[in-house]
Amino acid sequence: MAESPARTAFAEEALTHLDTLYRGALRLTRDPDQAQDLVQEAYLRALRYQHSYQTGTNMKAWLFAIMRNLFWDRFKGTRKEDVSLDDVGDFVLFEKLRDEGARPEADVLDRIAASEVVSAVEKLPPLHREVVLLVDVEGFSYKDAAQALGVPIGTVMSRLHRARQQLQRSLYEYAVESGIVRGSTNGATPQ
Amino acid sequence: MNCPDCKDKLDRFVDRELNNTEVLELQLHLEGCPECSDQYEFQAHLKRLVKHSCDCDAAPAAFREKLRQILT
Repeated sequence: MAESPARTAFAEEALTHLDTLYRGALRLTRDPDQAQDLVQEAYLRALRYQHSYQTGTNMKAWLFAIMRNLFWDRFKGTRKEDVSLDDVGDFVLFEKLRDEGARPEADVLDRIAASEVVSAVEKLPPLHREVVLLVDVEGFSYKDAAQALGVPIGTVMSRLHRARQQLQRSLYEYAVESGIVRGSTNGATPQ
Repeated sequence: MNCPDCKDKLDRFVDRELNNTEVLELQLHLEGCPECSDQYEFQAHLKRLVKHSCDCDAAPAAFREKLRQILT
């Protein structure tokens, strides 16, 4: 039986957000096959619950919410399994570069390989990873990210802040290991 | 605005989440504070680096077509 024009139009619009959903699924699952399964299931569910989508609201955020809820249900079990990041204080990479007199500090970032940045993002706990994906990679506003994640805006901000601290910590460790920066004299990861 | 206030607002500045008044206050501080200005440049640069590193994965064409067949 042919699909209704309304359903087809809805599906076509939803598919314009496929790259965002696929990237998000890939970063969350870290596996292309699982990412495709997750995205396909999310789209099927979206069509099933098409009536709950309010026209004029952010479809990308709505679709991402469906996808990430499936991820947590299917791949992560209980949400309590996720590790939360503590506030680790300063921005490690920036502070260390400044201490070492590397100016401008941002120039060092140009020497960090994209694959290492992806690796650092994928090492973040999923609750923090998904905020970085939405805000930094996909350009969501805090409000839209909060809608997609089902949390208050303040939670988006605190998770994002801690995720960025952790990213700097990971990138600093990589920069030391690869000789981009000298590192602490005692060889320890700075606190 | 002092440096601690500026640091508190840097995330929101980088993410374009401040209102116009806050943006002007922060820009004024950055113009007179090389340290905060450096930190802003670094955070903005890092945000761009994360985006460019992670947004190059597009859905495979075959997968897109498969979904289109299933959904429409």
